[in-house]
Amino acid sequence: MRAPKKRRLILLLVCGLCLSAATGLTLAAFSSSLTYFLSPREVLLKNPAPGVSFRLGGIVQVGSVNTVITDRMPTTTFRLTDGQASIPVTYTGLLPDLFREGQGIVAIGAMTPTGGFAAQEVLAKHGSTYMPKDVEQALQKAGKWNPKYGPPPPADTWNTMQVKGSNS
Amino acid sequence: MNENVLNAGRTGAAGAWLHRFANPGRFLRLVRPALPWLAVFSILITGTGLVWGYGFAPADWQQGDASRIMYVHVPAAWVAMAGYAALAGCSFFSIVWRHPLADLAAEEIGPVGAGFTFVCLVTGSLWGKPMWGAYWVWDARLTSVLVLFFLYLGHIALIRAFDNPAHGHRAAAILALVGAINLPIIVYSVQWWNTLHQGNTISFTGNSKIYITMLYPLLIASVGFYLCFVTLVCARMCAAIMERRTRGLLLAAADRGA
Amino acid sequence: MNFAPFINGSYGVTLVFLLGLGGLTFARYRRAVRRLRAVETREAAR
Repeated sequence: MRAPKKRRLILLLVCGLCLSAATGLTLAAFSSSLTYFLSPREVLLKNPAPGVSFRLGGIVQVGSVNTVITDRMPTTTFRLTDGQASIPVTYTGLLPDLFREGQGIVAIGAMTPTGGFAAQEVLAKHGSTYMPKDVEQALQKAGKWNPKYGPPPPADTWNTMQVKGSNS
Repeated sequence: MNENVLNAGRTGAAGAWLHRFANPGRFLRLVRPALPWLAVFSILITGTGLVWGYGFAPADWQQGDASRIMYVHVPAAWVAMAGYAALAGCSFFSIVWRHPLADLAAEEIGPVGAGFTFVCLVTGSLWGKPMWGAYWVWDARLTSVLVLFFLYLGHIALIRAFDNPAHGHRAAAILALVGAINLPIIVYSVQWWNTLHQGNTISFTGNSKIYITMLYPLLIASVGFYLCFVTLVCARMCAAIMERRTRGLLLAAADRGA
Repeated sequence: MNFAPFINGSYGVTLVFLLGLGGLTFARYRRAVRRLRAVETREAAR
Protein backbone atom coordinates (compact mmCIF):
# COMPACT_ATOMS: atom_id res chain seq x y z
CA MET A 1 0.00 0.00 0.00
CA ARG A 2 1.47 3.30 -1.13
CA ALA A 3 1.20 6.46 0.90
CA PRO A 4 -1.87 8.42 -0.23
CA LYS A 5 0.26 11.42 -1.11
CA LYS A 6 2.45 9.41 -3.42
CA ARG A 7 -0.62 7.80 -4.99
CA ARG A 8 -2.18 11.22 -5.63
CA LEU A 9 1.09 12.48 -7.06
CA ILE A 10 1.41 9.59 -9.51
CA LEU A 11 -2.27 9.84 -10.44
CA LEU A 12 -1.89 13.54 -11.14
CA LEU A 13 1.24 13.05 -13.25
CA VAL A 14 -0.46 10.32 -15.31
CA CYS A 15 -3.51 12.56 -15.81
CA GLY A 16 -1.26 15.42 -16.86
CA LEU A 17 0.58 13.24 -19.34
CA CYS A 18 -2.67 11.99 -20.91
CA LEU A 19 -4.09 15.51 -21.07
CA SER A 20 -0.94 16.88 -22.72
CA ALA A 21 -0.96 14.08 -25.27
CA ALA A 22 -4.63 14.62 -26.05
CA THR A 23 -4.17 18.39 -26.39
CA GLY A 24 -1.07 17.97 -28.53
CA LEU A 25 -2.85 15.59 -30.91
CA THR A 26 -5.90 17.87 -31.10
CA LEU A 27 -3.80 20.92 -31.86
CA ALA A 28 -1.84 19.03 -34.50
CA ALA A 29 -5.10 17.86 -36.10
CA PHE A 30 -6.61 21.34 -36.18
CA SER A 31 -3.35 23.03 -37.05
CA SER A 32 -4.58 24.36 -40.38
CA SER A 33 -7.59 26.12 -38.85
CA LEU A 34 -5.47 27.59 -36.05
CA THR A 35 -3.33 29.30 -38.64
CA TYR A 36 -4.41 32.89 -39.01
CA PHE A 37 -3.43 33.28 -42.66
CA LEU A 38 -2.29 31.35 -45.73
CA SER A 39 0.92 32.19 -47.53
CA PRO A 40 0.85 32.74 -51.32
CA ARG A 41 2.47 29.34 -51.85
CA GLU A 42 -0.20 27.61 -49.77
CA VAL A 43 -2.88 29.50 -51.67
CA LEU A 44 -1.50 28.35 -55.04
CA LEU A 45 -1.38 24.75 -53.74
CA LYS A 46 -4.89 24.77 -52.22
CA ASN A 47 -6.39 26.91 -54.94
CA PRO A 48 -9.40 28.32 -53.01
CA ALA A 49 -12.53 28.89 -55.09
CA PRO A 50 -13.17 32.51 -56.16
CA GLY A 51 -15.46 34.33 -53.77
CA VAL A 52 -14.58 32.17 -50.74
CA SER A 53 -13.22 34.46 -48.04
CA PHE A 54 -9.85 33.73 -46.42
CA ARG A 55 -6.81 35.56 -45.09
CA LEU A 56 -3.70 35.91 -47.21
CA GLY A 57 -0.42 36.83 -45.55
CA GLY A 58 2.96 37.73 -46.97
CA ILE A 59 5.47 40.44 -47.69
CA VAL A 60 4.62 43.43 -49.89
CA GLN A 61 6.84 42.90 -52.93
CA VAL A 62 9.27 45.75 -53.58
CA GLY A 63 8.33 47.87 -56.58
CA SER A 64 4.87 46.35 -56.93
CA VAL A 65 2.83 49.01 -55.07
CA ASN A 66 0.64 51.20 -57.23
CA THR A 67 -2.05 53.58 -55.96
CA VAL A 68 -4.78 55.18 -58.06
CA ILE A 69 -7.19 57.67 -56.51
CA THR A 70 -10.71 57.71 -57.91
CA ASP A 71 -13.52 59.70 -56.24
CA ARG A 72 -11.09 60.51 -53.40
CA MET A 73 -10.78 56.82 -52.52
CA PRO A 74 -7.36 55.27 -53.07
CA THR A 75 -7.23 51.90 -54.77
CA THR A 76 -3.92 50.16 -54.21
CA THR A 77 -2.57 47.20 -56.11
CA PHE A 78 0.47 45.29 -54.91
CA ARG A 79 1.88 41.78 -54.94
CA LEU A 80 2.12 39.69 -51.78
CA THR A 81 5.02 37.27 -51.75
CA ASP A 82 6.54 34.66 -49.45
CA GLY A 83 9.73 34.42 -51.45
CA GLN A 84 8.47 31.45 -53.46
CA ALA A 85 5.19 32.59 -54.95
CA SER A 86 3.36 35.88 -55.25
CA ILE A 87 -0.26 36.91 -55.71
CA PRO A 88 -1.57 40.28 -56.98
CA VAL A 89 -3.80 42.04 -54.44
CA THR A 90 -6.27 44.89 -54.97
CA TYR A 91 -7.56 46.98 -52.07
CA THR A 92 -9.74 50.08 -51.98
CA GLY A 93 -9.46 52.15 -48.84
CA LEU A 94 -6.94 53.62 -46.44
CA LEU A 95 -3.98 51.37 -45.67
CA PRO A 96 -2.55 51.03 -42.13
CA ASP A 97 0.33 53.37 -41.24
CA LEU A 98 2.84 50.56 -41.25
CA PHE A 99 2.08 49.55 -44.85
CA ARG A 100 5.25 49.80 -46.93
CA GLU A 101 7.30 47.78 -49.38
CA GLY A 102 8.90 44.83 -47.61
CA GLN A 103 6.34 44.92 -44.76
CA GLY A 104 4.44 41.84 -43.63
CA ILE A 105 0.73 42.19 -44.43
CA VAL A 106 -2.39 40.12 -43.84
CA ALA A 107 -5.14 40.79 -46.38
CA ILE A 108 -8.70 39.56 -45.76
CA GLY A 109 -10.77 38.91 -48.87
CA ALA A 110 -11.27 36.37 -51.64
CA MET A 111 -9.74 35.28 -54.94
CA THR A 112 -11.17 36.75 -58.12
CA PRO A 113 -11.83 34.60 -61.21
CA THR A 114 -8.72 36.13 -62.83
CA GLY A 115 -6.37 34.77 -60.16
CA GLY A 116 -5.97 37.99 -58.20
CA PHE A 117 -6.94 38.64 -54.60
CA ALA A 118 -9.58 41.24 -53.80
CA ALA A 119 -8.95 42.46 -50.24
CA GLN A 120 -11.75 43.76 -48.04
CA GLU A 121 -9.37 44.62 -45.23
CA VAL A 122 -5.59 44.96 -44.92
CA LEU A 123 -3.77 44.48 -41.60
CA ALA A 124 -0.09 45.24 -41.04
CA LYS A 125 2.02 42.56 -39.37
CA HIS A 126 5.08 44.20 -37.87
CA GLY A 127 8.19 42.28 -36.95
CA SER A 128 9.52 41.52 -33.50
CA THR A 129 12.48 43.90 -33.78
CA TYR A 130 12.60 47.11 -31.75
CA MET A 131 15.24 49.79 -32.30
CA PRO A 132 15.38 53.59 -32.36
CA LYS A 133 15.31 55.40 -35.69
CA ASP A 134 19.00 56.40 -35.36
CA VAL A 135 20.07 52.79 -35.11
CA GLU A 136 17.99 51.82 -38.13
CA GLN A 137 19.45 54.74 -40.11
CA ALA A 138 22.98 53.79 -39.07
CA LEU A 139 22.42 50.19 -40.17
CA GLN A 140 21.07 51.38 -43.51
CA LYS A 141 23.97 53.79 -43.98
CA ALA A 142 26.46 51.04 -43.22
CA GLY A 143 24.75 48.88 -45.83
CA LYS A 144 23.93 46.21 -43.23
CA TRP A 145 20.17 46.32 -43.61
CA ASN A 146 17.49 47.66 -45.85
CA PRO A 147 14.02 47.12 -44.36
CA LYS A 148 12.65 46.68 -47.87
CA TYR A 149 14.70 43.56 -48.43
CA GLY A 150 14.18 41.29 -45.50
CA PRO A 151 14.66 41.04 -41.75
CA PRO A 152 17.34 42.92 -39.81
CA PRO A 153 20.78 41.40 -39.21
CA PRO A 154 21.41 39.27 -36.08
CA ALA A 155 20.46 41.21 -32.95
CA ASP A 156 23.90 41.06 -31.33
CA THR A 157 25.33 43.17 -34.18
CA TRP A 158 23.12 46.16 -33.30
CA ASN A 159 21.29 45.87 -29.98
CA THR A 160 24.10 47.55 -28.06
CA MET A 161 25.54 49.50 -31.01
CA GLN A 162 26.77 53.01 -30.13
CA VAL A 163 24.91 55.59 -32.17
CA LYS A 164 25.00 59.35 -31.74
CA GLY A 165 21.70 60.60 -30.35
CA SER A 166 20.22 57.23 -29.35
CA ASN A 167 21.43 57.30 -25.76
CA SER A 168 18.18 58.64 -24.31
CA MET B 1 -3.78 15.18 10.77
CA ASN B 2 -3.29 11.54 11.50
CA GLU B 3 -1.96 11.09 8.00
CA ASN B 4 0.64 13.82 8.51
CA VAL B 5 2.01 12.16 11.60
CA LEU B 6 2.19 8.80 9.87
CA ASN B 7 3.94 10.13 6.82
CA ALA B 8 6.29 12.54 8.51
CA GLY B 9 9.14 10.07 8.30
CA ARG B 10 8.37 8.84 4.80
CA THR B 11 7.69 11.93 2.71
CA GLY B 12 11.27 13.05 3.18
CA ALA B 13 12.81 16.42 3.80
CA ALA B 14 10.84 18.26 1.13
CA GLY B 15 7.49 17.16 2.48
CA ALA B 16 8.44 17.95 6.04
CA TRP B 17 9.74 21.38 5.11
CA LEU B 18 6.62 22.13 3.12
CA HIS B 19 4.40 21.11 5.98
CA ARG B 20 6.25 23.30 8.41
CA PHE B 21 5.89 26.25 6.07
CA ALA B 22 2.29 25.39 5.22
CA ASN B 23 1.21 26.74 8.56
CA PRO B 24 -0.83 29.92 7.90
CA GLY B 25 0.21 31.36 11.25
CA ARG B 26 3.87 31.02 10.36
CA PHE B 27 3.20 32.56 6.94
CA LEU B 28 1.53 35.54 8.58
CA ARG B 29 4.42 36.02 11.02
CA LEU B 30 6.99 35.77 8.22
CA VAL B 31 5.29 37.85 5.56
CA ARG B 32 3.55 40.63 7.49
CA PRO B 33 6.74 42.51 8.42
CA ALA B 34 7.89 42.32 4.79
CA LEU B 35 4.68 43.80 3.34
CA PRO B 36 5.54 47.52 3.74
CA TRP B 37 8.93 46.91 2.11
CA LEU B 38 7.39 44.93 -0.71
CA ALA B 39 4.87 47.71 -1.28
CA VAL B 40 7.52 50.45 -1.32
CA PHE B 41 9.75 48.58 -3.77
CA SER B 42 6.79 47.67 -5.98
CA ILE B 43 5.76 51.31 -6.29
CA LEU B 44 9.29 52.62 -6.80
CA ILE B 45 10.36 50.08 -9.40
CA THR B 46 7.08 50.03 -11.31
CA GLY B 47 7.03 53.81 -11.27
CA THR B 48 10.59 54.01 -12.58
CA GLY B 49 9.88 51.54 -15.38
CA LEU B 50 6.66 53.21 -16.48
CA VAL B 51 8.00 56.78 -16.37
CA TRP B 52 11.09 55.66 -18.28
CA GLY B 53 9.02 53.86 -20.87
CA TYR B 54 6.40 56.60 -21.24
CA GLY B 55 8.68 59.60 -21.33
CA PHE B 56 12.30 58.71 -21.89
CA ALA B 57 12.79 55.51 -23.88
CA PRO B 58 13.40 56.12 -27.59
CA ALA B 59 10.52 55.63 -30.03
CA ASP B 60 10.72 52.63 -32.35
CA TRP B 61 12.01 53.28 -35.89
CA GLN B 62 8.88 51.76 -37.41
CA GLN B 63 6.09 51.97 -34.84
CA GLY B 64 7.06 55.37 -33.47
CA ASP B 65 5.69 56.30 -30.06
CA ALA B 66 3.10 53.52 -30.22
CA SER B 67 5.89 51.14 -29.18
CA ARG B 68 5.68 52.69 -25.70
CA ILE B 69 2.61 50.54 -25.09
CA MET B 70 5.11 47.67 -24.90
CA TYR B 71 6.22 48.79 -21.42
CA VAL B 72 2.79 48.06 -19.96
CA HIS B 73 1.57 45.33 -22.32
CA VAL B 74 4.54 42.95 -22.12
CA PRO B 75 5.02 43.01 -18.31
CA ALA B 76 1.27 42.52 -17.84
CA ALA B 77 1.36 39.52 -20.18
CA TRP B 78 4.35 37.98 -18.39
CA VAL B 79 2.79 38.43 -14.97
CA ALA B 80 -0.54 37.06 -16.22
CA MET B 81 1.21 33.86 -17.35
CA ALA B 82 3.51 33.60 -14.32
CA GLY B 83 0.49 34.13 -12.08
CA TYR B 84 -1.31 31.26 -13.74
CA ALA B 85 1.79 29.08 -13.37
CA ALA B 86 1.80 29.95 -9.66
CA LEU B 87 -1.92 29.13 -9.49
CA ALA B 88 -1.28 25.75 -11.12
CA GLY B 89 1.63 25.11 -8.72
CA CYS B 90 -0.56 25.88 -5.72
CA SER B 91 -3.28 23.60 -7.09
CA PHE B 92 -0.72 20.83 -7.49
CA PHE B 93 0.37 21.18 -3.85
CA SER B 94 -3.26 21.42 -2.81
CA ILE B 95 -4.20 18.14 -4.49
CA VAL B 96 -1.12 16.12 -3.62
CA TRP B 97 -0.17 17.42 -0.17
CA ARG B 98 -3.47 19.06 0.87
CA HIS B 99 -1.80 22.29 1.91
CA PRO B 100 -4.15 24.76 3.59
CA LEU B 101 -1.80 27.55 2.52
CA ALA B 102 -1.86 26.44 -1.12
CA ASP B 103 -5.65 26.69 -1.17
CA LEU B 104 -5.46 30.09 0.41
CA ALA B 105 -2.90 31.26 -2.15
CA ALA B 106 -4.95 29.87 -5.06
CA GLU B 107 -8.00 31.77 -3.86
CA GLU B 108 -6.11 35.06 -3.71
CA ILE B 109 -4.00 34.66 -6.89
CA GLY B 110 -7.08 34.26 -9.09
CA PRO B 111 -8.49 37.82 -9.02
CA VAL B 112 -5.04 39.45 -9.21
CA GLY B 113 -3.99 37.29 -12.17
CA ALA B 114 -7.29 37.93 -13.93
CA GLY B 115 -6.69 41.66 -13.51
CA PHE B 116 -3.25 41.51 -15.09
CA THR B 117 -4.64 39.41 -17.95
CA PHE B 118 -7.34 42.01 -18.48
CA VAL B 119 -4.73 44.78 -18.60
CA CYS B 120 -2.72 42.72 -21.10
CA LEU B 121 -5.78 42.28 -23.34
CA VAL B 122 -6.87 45.92 -23.19
CA THR B 123 -3.40 47.39 -23.78
CA GLY B 124 -2.81 44.89 -26.57
CA SER B 125 -6.07 45.94 -28.18
CA LEU B 126 -5.09 49.61 -27.91
CA TRP B 127 -1.76 48.74 -29.50
CA GLY B 128 -3.33 46.68 -32.26
CA LYS B 129 -5.61 49.41 -33.60
CA PRO B 130 -2.93 51.96 -34.57
CA MET B 131 -0.37 49.35 -35.69
CA TRP B 132 -2.25 46.45 -37.27
CA GLY B 133 -5.42 48.33 -38.10
CA ALA B 134 -7.69 46.22 -35.87
CA TYR B 135 -8.53 46.16 -32.17
CA TRP B 136 -8.95 42.42 -32.17
CA VAL B 137 -8.20 39.47 -34.45
CA TRP B 138 -8.81 35.80 -33.78
CA ASP B 139 -5.25 34.60 -34.20
CA ALA B 140 -3.72 31.89 -32.02
CA ARG B 141 -1.89 34.24 -29.61
CA LEU B 142 -4.82 36.55 -28.89
CA THR B 143 -7.30 33.71 -28.63
CA SER B 144 -5.13 31.68 -26.23
CA VAL B 145 -4.66 34.72 -23.96
CA LEU B 146 -8.43 35.27 -24.00
CA VAL B 147 -8.78 31.62 -22.97
CA LEU B 148 -6.34 32.35 -20.11
CA PHE B 149 -8.60 35.20 -18.98
CA PHE B 150 -11.65 32.92 -18.99
CA LEU B 151 -9.72 30.24 -17.09
CA TYR B 152 -8.97 32.81 -14.40
CA LEU B 153 -12.63 33.87 -14.29
CA GLY B 154 -13.75 30.24 -14.14
CA HIS B 155 -11.33 29.59 -11.28
CA ILE B 156 -12.51 32.66 -9.35
CA ALA B 157 -16.12 31.51 -9.66
CA LEU B 158 -15.53 27.80 -9.03
CA ILE B 159 -13.41 28.19 -5.88
CA ARG B 160 -16.23 30.19 -4.27
CA ALA B 161 -19.12 28.16 -5.69
CA PHE B 162 -19.48 25.48 -2.99
CA ASP B 163 -20.94 25.64 0.50
CA ASN B 164 -18.11 23.43 1.67
CA PRO B 165 -14.90 25.35 0.90
CA ALA B 166 -12.89 22.13 0.62
CA HIS B 167 -15.02 21.04 -2.35
CA GLY B 168 -14.48 24.41 -4.01
CA HIS B 169 -10.73 24.18 -3.50
CA ARG B 170 -10.61 20.68 -4.98
CA ALA B 171 -12.70 21.53 -8.05
CA ALA B 172 -10.85 24.79 -8.71
CA ALA B 173 -7.48 23.07 -8.34
CA ILE B 174 -8.44 20.54 -11.02
CA LEU B 175 -9.59 23.36 -13.32
CA ALA B 176 -6.32 25.26 -12.75
CA LEU B 177 -4.21 22.17 -13.51
CA VAL B 178 -6.16 21.28 -16.66
CA GLY B 179 -5.93 24.91 -17.78
CA ALA B 180 -2.15 24.94 -17.32
CA ILE B 181 -1.89 23.20 -20.69
CA ASN B 182 -2.80 26.61 -22.15
CA LEU B 183 0.48 28.18 -20.95
CA PRO B 184 2.83 26.47 -23.44
CA ILE B 185 0.21 27.10 -26.12
CA ILE B 186 0.34 30.85 -25.40
CA VAL B 187 4.13 30.90 -25.39
CA TYR B 188 4.64 28.89 -28.58
CA SER B 189 1.52 30.03 -30.47
CA VAL B 190 3.56 32.57 -32.43
CA GLN B 191 6.01 29.87 -33.52
CA TRP B 192 3.64 26.99 -34.21
CA TRP B 193 1.12 28.89 -36.30
CA ASN B 194 0.97 31.94 -38.54
CA THR B 195 -0.28 34.76 -36.35
CA LEU B 196 -0.83 38.47 -36.81
CA HIS B 197 0.79 38.96 -33.42
CA GLN B 198 4.54 39.42 -33.66
CA GLY B 199 6.99 36.69 -32.66
CA ASN B 200 8.96 36.77 -29.42
CA THR B 201 11.32 39.74 -29.08
CA ILE B 202 12.94 38.75 -25.81
CA SER B 203 14.98 35.58 -25.80
CA PHE B 204 16.48 34.03 -22.69
CA THR B 205 18.81 31.78 -24.65
CA GLY B 206 19.88 33.99 -27.58
CA ASN B 207 20.03 37.68 -28.38
CA SER B 208 16.97 39.79 -27.75
CA LYS B 209 15.82 41.72 -30.81
CA ILE B 210 15.49 45.00 -28.97
CA TYR B 211 17.86 47.93 -28.58
CA ILE B 212 19.39 48.23 -25.14
CA THR B 213 17.84 51.61 -24.25
CA MET B 214 14.42 50.07 -24.87
CA LEU B 215 15.29 46.81 -23.10
CA TYR B 216 16.19 48.44 -19.75
CA PRO B 217 12.83 50.14 -19.10
CA LEU B 218 11.06 46.97 -20.24
CA LEU B 219 12.97 44.83 -17.75
CA ILE B 220 12.52 47.35 -14.93
CA ALA B 221 8.78 47.60 -15.59
CA SER B 222 8.60 43.79 -15.63
CA VAL B 223 10.40 43.46 -12.29
CA GLY B 224 8.02 46.11 -10.94
CA PHE B 225 4.92 44.28 -12.20
CA TYR B 226 6.15 40.98 -10.72
CA LEU B 227 6.72 42.75 -7.39
CA CYS B 228 3.25 44.31 -7.55
CA PHE B 229 1.77 40.87 -8.13
CA VAL B 230 3.69 39.32 -5.21
CA THR B 231 2.81 42.22 -2.92
CA LEU B 232 -0.87 42.15 -3.79
CA VAL B 233 -1.14 38.38 -3.38
CA CYS B 234 0.79 38.35 -0.09
CA ALA B 235 -1.28 41.21 1.35
CA ARG B 236 -4.51 39.48 0.31
CA MET B 237 -3.33 36.19 1.82
CA CYS B 238 -2.43 37.90 5.12
CA ALA B 239 -5.82 39.63 5.14
CA ALA B 240 -7.56 36.31 4.43
CA ILE B 241 -5.70 34.57 7.28
CA MET B 242 -6.64 37.34 9.70
CA GLU B 243 -10.26 37.34 8.50
CA ARG B 244 -10.40 33.60 9.11
CA ARG B 245 -8.95 34.01 12.57
CA THR B 246 -11.51 36.73 13.38
CA ARG B 247 -14.32 34.47 12.17
CA GLY B 248 -13.00 31.62 14.29
CA LEU B 249 -12.86 33.76 17.42
CA LEU B 250 -16.36 35.13 16.82
CA LEU B 251 -17.74 31.64 16.26
CA ALA B 252 -16.09 30.37 19.44
CA ALA B 253 -17.52 33.33 21.37
CA ALA B 254 -20.97 32.67 19.91
CA ASP B 255 -20.72 29.00 20.90
CA ARG B 256 -19.81 29.92 24.46
CA GLY B 257 -22.58 32.47 24.56
CA ALA B 258 -25.21 30.04 23.30
CA MET C 1 -2.88 58.56 -37.16
CA ASN C 2 -2.49 60.16 -33.75
CA PHE C 3 -1.08 57.58 -31.35
CA ALA C 4 -1.45 59.65 -28.17
CA PRO C 5 -4.96 58.45 -27.18
CA PHE C 6 -3.87 54.84 -27.54
CA ILE C 7 -0.66 55.30 -25.54
CA ASN C 8 -2.35 57.39 -22.84
CA GLY C 9 -5.25 54.93 -22.75
CA SER C 10 -2.91 51.98 -22.22
CA TYR C 11 -0.98 53.67 -19.43
CA GLY C 12 -4.23 54.97 -17.96
CA VAL C 13 -5.83 51.52 -17.82
CA THR C 14 -2.69 50.06 -16.27
CA LEU C 15 -2.40 52.76 -13.61
CA VAL C 16 -6.10 52.62 -12.75
CA PHE C 17 -5.79 48.85 -12.34
CA LEU C 18 -2.61 48.90 -10.25
CA LEU C 19 -3.69 51.80 -8.03
CA GLY C 20 -7.27 50.55 -7.79
CA LEU C 21 -6.39 47.00 -6.83
CA GLY C 22 -3.62 48.28 -4.56
CA GLY C 23 -6.06 50.58 -2.78
CA LEU C 24 -8.73 47.89 -2.42
CA THR C 25 -6.17 45.40 -1.11
CA PHE C 26 -4.79 47.96 1.37
CA ALA C 27 -8.30 48.74 2.61
CA ARG C 28 -9.13 45.06 3.01
CA TYR C 29 -5.84 44.42 4.82
CA ARG C 30 -6.37 47.31 7.24
CA ARG C 31 -9.94 46.24 7.94
CA ALA C 32 -8.77 42.68 8.63
CA VAL C 33 -6.10 43.93 11.06
CA ARG C 34 -8.57 46.23 12.83
CA ARG C 35 -11.32 43.62 13.18
CA LEU C 36 -8.92 40.96 14.43
CA ARG C 37 -7.45 43.34 17.00
CA ALA C 38 -10.92 44.38 18.18
CA VAL C 39 -12.08 40.78 18.60
CA GLU C 40 -8.84 39.74 20.29
CA THR C 41 -8.95 42.57 22.84
CA ARG C 42 -12.63 41.80 23.56
CA GLU C 43 -11.80 38.13 24.08
CA ALA C 44 -8.83 39.00 26.29
CA ALA C 45 -11.02 41.28 28.42
CA ARG C 46 -13.36 38.43 29.28
